[in-house]
Amino acid sequence: MNEVRRADAQLADRMRTGDTEALGELYDRYAGMAVATAHRVVGGREEAEDVVHDAFVAVWRKIDRFDSERGSLRAWLMTVVRNRAIDRVRARRTSVDLDDADERSLLRTGPNPTWEAALTRASAGDVRSAMAALPDEQRRALELAYFEGYTYREVADLTGVPAGTANGRLRLALGKLRDALSGTTAAPLPFQETPLRKDLSR
Amino acid sequence: MTARIDIDCATVDELAAAHGLGAVEDSEANAIDRHLDGCPQPHAEARELIAAASLVPAALEPVAPSAALRGRLMATVAATPQDHRAPVRAPTPRAVIAEPMVVPRRSWWQFGPLPSALAAVALAAAVGLGAWGVSLNGQLAERDAALRAVASADAAYVVEGEAGRGWVIESGDQAMFMADGLADLAAGQLYEFWLIDGDGNLVAAGTLTDTDGVALVTLERALDDATTFAVTVETERVEQSTNDPVMVGALGA
Repeated sequence: MNEVRRADAQLADRMRTGDTEALGELYDRYAGMAVATAHRVVGGREEAEDVVHDAFVAVWRKIDRFDSERGSLRAWLMTVVRNRAIDRVRARRTSVDLDDADERSLLRTGPNPTWEAALTRASAGDVRSAMAALPDEQRRALELAYFEGYTYREVADLTGVPAGTANGRLRLALGKLRDALSGTTAAPLPFQETPLRKDLSR
Repeated sequence: MTARIDIDCATVDELAAAHGLGAVEDSEANAIDRHLDGCPQPHAEARELIAAASLVPAALEPVAPSAALRGRLMATVAATPQDHRAPVRAPTPRAVIAEPMVVPRRSWWQFGPLPSALAAVALAAAVGLGAWGVSLNGQLAERDAALRAVASADAAYVVEGEAGRGWVIESGDQAMFMADGLADLAAGQLYEFWLIDGDGNLVAAGTLTDTDGVALVTLERALDDATTFAVTVETERVEQSTNDPVMVGALGA
């Protein structure tokens, strides 16, 4: 288990005992990324903060179902944020059972030793560079899927390509992202604790 | 509810990236999760792609939250029981407003009393029961029991919400909940009834699992000093609920 996951696991253990300050520390670590993700999806700042609020509350409520040996707290939290944000923009189409989705997300955030090592080395700048280096059609497909909540079939319709092509673009995009980051030697992704605290009037 | 489908190893590998990005249908997502959870094959590539998706948010520049968000979150969390820990009691309004600049969301058990005129409510109940009698010819015994309850009622209160409309009928030391046309429950769900006093304390007062037609349930306890009646949907009987109510009504004028 890498340093980031170990620290998150300790927070999860404290949260499990009802320690609200541990939830506060989790917030301090990831609120910036969470708000950025929600804002990117829903567009409005106030609505994004509502999404983040609800996502942290969901993690608080369900923390006993989280197993740090099987998954990453950060990845789960960000998936919950993303799911809830997407649910808002999908409201005119279909709505998902968020409680169910929160718990299913636990299955998708399991550890992967190879990737854990890459994640430890990667910096936020590395991720941005890797995203920027993607061909336009692959980056667009990835953004439509992740940030706008479209399925690969809908991405295909929106971009005028067959479903297999849209799915292939998503595979290529994520594969390149993985390959680019697994070879990095930069500093680890920061917790953002220090810069965020400066922005919080508490 | 999504249809259950089963998929093979090749399809899991094919859809792994889309799955990691949340870009498959729910039925496909469930099938992939089930497959990966039980498949003897390592699916290393698929697992890596799924894991890689979790880094996408890191490509965004962090956005500092407003100063109020942390306080609002901490106030909510302080008032939110964790699923695995039974709450000792529901929070009082004073406990919720824990920090300055915090605008707490109103908890459903903190609804203030709503004006309720017994005569008007009893009339509404009678009208409702009339429709009930027409639509449920085979359930005369239940209808008669309901009519007797109304006839002997000391007080009646409207309860309504997304699940429908009903009444709490108080007669002496007993109270009944009745409704017609309650929303159907999904398999494995039940309605649970709650009495809430002026301090926000919740007490379970019974459950209902069969919503086929009428609801006619004698509550397990007297209304006593309860000020609010609420109905939630649960998967099993619980002693405290964190679910939003599907029906709420004030008890007393």
